[in-house]
Amino acid sequence: MLCAGIDAGSRSIKAVLLDTDTGKILAAGVSDQGVEQERLATELFDKILFEAGLERAQISGVIATGYGRNAIRFADTTITEITCHARGVHQLAPETRTIIEIGGQDSKVISLENGGRVRDFAMNDRCAAGTGRFLEMVATRLNMNWSTLSELAHQSQKPALISNMCVVFAETEIIGLLAEGKPLADVVAGVQKAIATRVAALAGRSVASPVYFTGGVALQPGMARALEEVLACPVGVVSQPQFTGALGAAVLAGERAARNNL
Amino acid sequence: MECRSSGPQPSVSNASAGAALRWFEDMIDHCYDYAEAARAQGRPVVGIMCEFTPREIILAAGAVPVCLCGGSAATIPPAEQFLPANLCPLIKSTFGYQVTGKNPFLNWADLVVAETTCDGKKKMFELMGAAKPMYVLELPHKAENAAALEHWTQELHKFKAHLEERFNTQITEEKLRAAIQLMNRERGLRRQLADLMTQDQPPLTGRQLIEFKSIISGIEADLQQYENGLKSLSASGGDASSPNVTATKASLPREIRVLLTGVPIVHGAERVLELIENAGAVVVAMENCTGLKPILEDVDAADPAPIRAIAKKYYHLPCSVLTPNSGRFDTLRSLSAKFRPDCVIEIIWQACLTYDIESIQVRKLAEEELKLPYLKITTDYSPSDSARISARVEALFETIKAKAKG
Repeated sequence: MLCAGIDAGSRSIKAVLLDTDTGKILAAGVSDQGVEQERLATELFDKILFEAGLERAQISGVIATGYGRNAIRFADTTITEITCHARGVHQLAPETRTIIEIGGQDSKVISLENGGRVRDFAMNDRCAAGTGRFLEMVATRLNMNWSTLSELAHQSQKPALISNMCVVFAETEIIGLLAEGKPLADVVAGVQKAIATRVAALAGRSVASPVYFTGGVALQPGMARALEEVLACPVGVVSQPQFTGALGAAVLAGERAARNNL
Repeated sequence: MECRSSGPQPSVSNASAGAALRWFEDMIDHCYDYAEAARAQGRPVVGIMCEFTPREIILAAGAVPVCLCGGSAATIPPAEQFLPANLCPLIKSTFGYQVTGKNPFLNWADLVVAETTCDGKKKMFELMGAAKPMYVLELPHKAENAAALEHWTQELHKFKAHLEERFNTQITEEKLRAAIQLMNRERGLRRQLADLMTQDQPPLTGRQLIEFKSIISGIEADLQQYENGLKSLSASGGDASSPNVTATKASLPREIRVLLTGVPIVHGAERVLELIENAGAVVVAMENCTGLKPILEDVDAADPAPIRAIAKKYYHLPCSVLTPNSGRFDTLRSLSAKFRPDCVIEIIWQACLTYDIESIQVRKLAEEELKLPYLKITTDYSPSDSARISARVEALFETIKAKAKG
C-alpha cells in the first residue's frame, strides 16, 4: 500500500511517500512554510508524486500533521506531531525510549513504551529559546550560514554562558558577549549548550535510554553533542531527522487505511 | 461590558435546561441590574477577591458580595503600567479594572475584602487599597496547626465587627443563620448540577457547566434557574436518548473524560477549557476555585456558634497557598473515584508560583496513585499559544485512545 504523510510545520513543510508493505520511503521533499499553506503543501505533494512516478489515485491514505495540519484539506485526517514523530522514530529506530525533537519553534521530549507507543511528552511553552528559531537568529546575527554553525562550535574550548530565557534578549546578550571579545566559537557553542539545557529541563527525570534526536535542528551535529553532554548519555540522530513527523504520518495513514479496508 | 466572555457560547437547546443556561449567559447583565437595584435601596456593595472570603457574613450585613476577579486580557496592559509583567494574569486583570475603571462592580464597591493568600495578591491589594476602602483578612497558611483555625475564627469575628461599624448595622445570629441557609442552598444546587457529570453520558459539557454560576451570590432568580436547570437535566435520569439531554449536548463525540485542576478559570478566561473540549473531550469535574473546590462543603447550620462554623468551612478550602495542602490531594482522590476521568489536566496561570510548584505533587498523585495520564498547561489570558495547547491536548487524547485500543 502506498501512503503519504504531510508535516506542515512552523518553518517548513515536509512530505513523505511510503510503501507501507516494504517500509521503503519512495520520495521525500521539503519546502518553506508560507501564507498559502495548502497550496504550498499541494505543490510539494505533487512534486514528490512526480519524482516517484506516481499519481494521487494510487495513494491509499494521506495524514497531515504539524501546526498547519488543519489547513491541509486533501488529507484524510490529522494527527498531532507528537504521535507522528513517535511513530516515525519508532519506524527508524524501534529500540528508542526517549525522543528529543527540536523543530523551528518547538522542542519536545517524548518518552515511548514498548511497541513505540507514547507514554508521556513535554513541550516548550510560549517561548522559542530552546528551538531552531534561536539558532536561526544567531546565524543571522553572526552573518553565518546556518549549517556552518556546528563546525564553528566544535572549535570551542569553553562555551560561553548564555543565561537569557528569551530569544530577543538572548540576542542582546550575544551582542554583549561579542563586544566583550568572547571568541565566536565559544558564543555559538554557548548557544547550543543553552538550547540543550532548556531541552534537558523539559525532559526532567524521564530520560530513558536509548535517546534519539530528531527534527530539523538535529541536522546540526553539534546539537547532538551538546545534548549528550547535558543529558550525560549517548544521543543518536535518526536518519533524515527533518522527515520523521511526515514519515510517522505516512505510517499511521497506512495503519488507518488497513483498518478501514477490513 | 468588557468582562463579558468573548469565547464561543455553548450550544444550547430550546429545552428548559437550555433556558436556564441562557439565563446564565447574561449573568453579568443580571448582576448589574441586581446590584444597581440593591444600591438604590441603600445596600452596600462589597467586592471579594477569593473563595476564602465568607459571603455569609457580608450577606448578613445586608451587603451584596460581588466577585471582582478579572478574566479579561484587555485590562492586563493597563495593569502592567504598575505591576510586573511576570505576574499572574488573574491579578493583573483584576487590578487592570481599577486602572481602567471599566468594572462597574469595582467602581460601586463600598468595600473590598481581600485576604493574605499568595504574595502577588497581597501586594496588589496594597496598591488597590490606596484607592479603595480595603479590608484584609489574615489567612494562616499552616493548615494543620491547631491555632490556625482559632486565629482564622478570630479574624472573622473582627471582620463581622468591622462590617457592623462600617455599614452601621447589627449582624444578628438570626441574620447569620439566614445567610448560612441561603449559601448552603446555593452551594447545594451547584453541587447537584456538577454531580450530573458523574453520568456515563454527561448531560452537559464542562463549558456549559461553568456557565452555571454568578459573580453575586444569593440572588433568588439565579437560585431558581439552578433549580430549573437541575430539574430538566435530572428528569431524563441520564438517559442519553431523552430529547432534553441529547439536545444540550455538543455535536462532537465525547470519548475522553477529563478531571481539570489548578488555578481558577475566571469568567471570560475559559479559553483552555474550550480548547480541551474542542479536542473531543468532556471536562467532567473541575477541582479548582471556579469549580467544585468551594462548594464541596457546606457550613454546619446546626452549629451553636455560627461564626466558628463559617470559619471551619472556609478554612477547609484546599488552596495552594496552604502548607501542606493535603486537602487538595484528598479532594482529587475522591473526585477521581466519583467522576471516573481518563486523565488529569492542570491549568497554571503563568507566574502562579504556589500552584506551579505544587503541580509536581499533583502529577505524582495522578500518575503513580490514580494511574491517570497528567498534562500541565501553563498559560495566561492571551490566545497566542492556543495552537500549541491544542496540539498537546490532542496528543494526550491520542495517547489515551491508543492505549485503550491496546
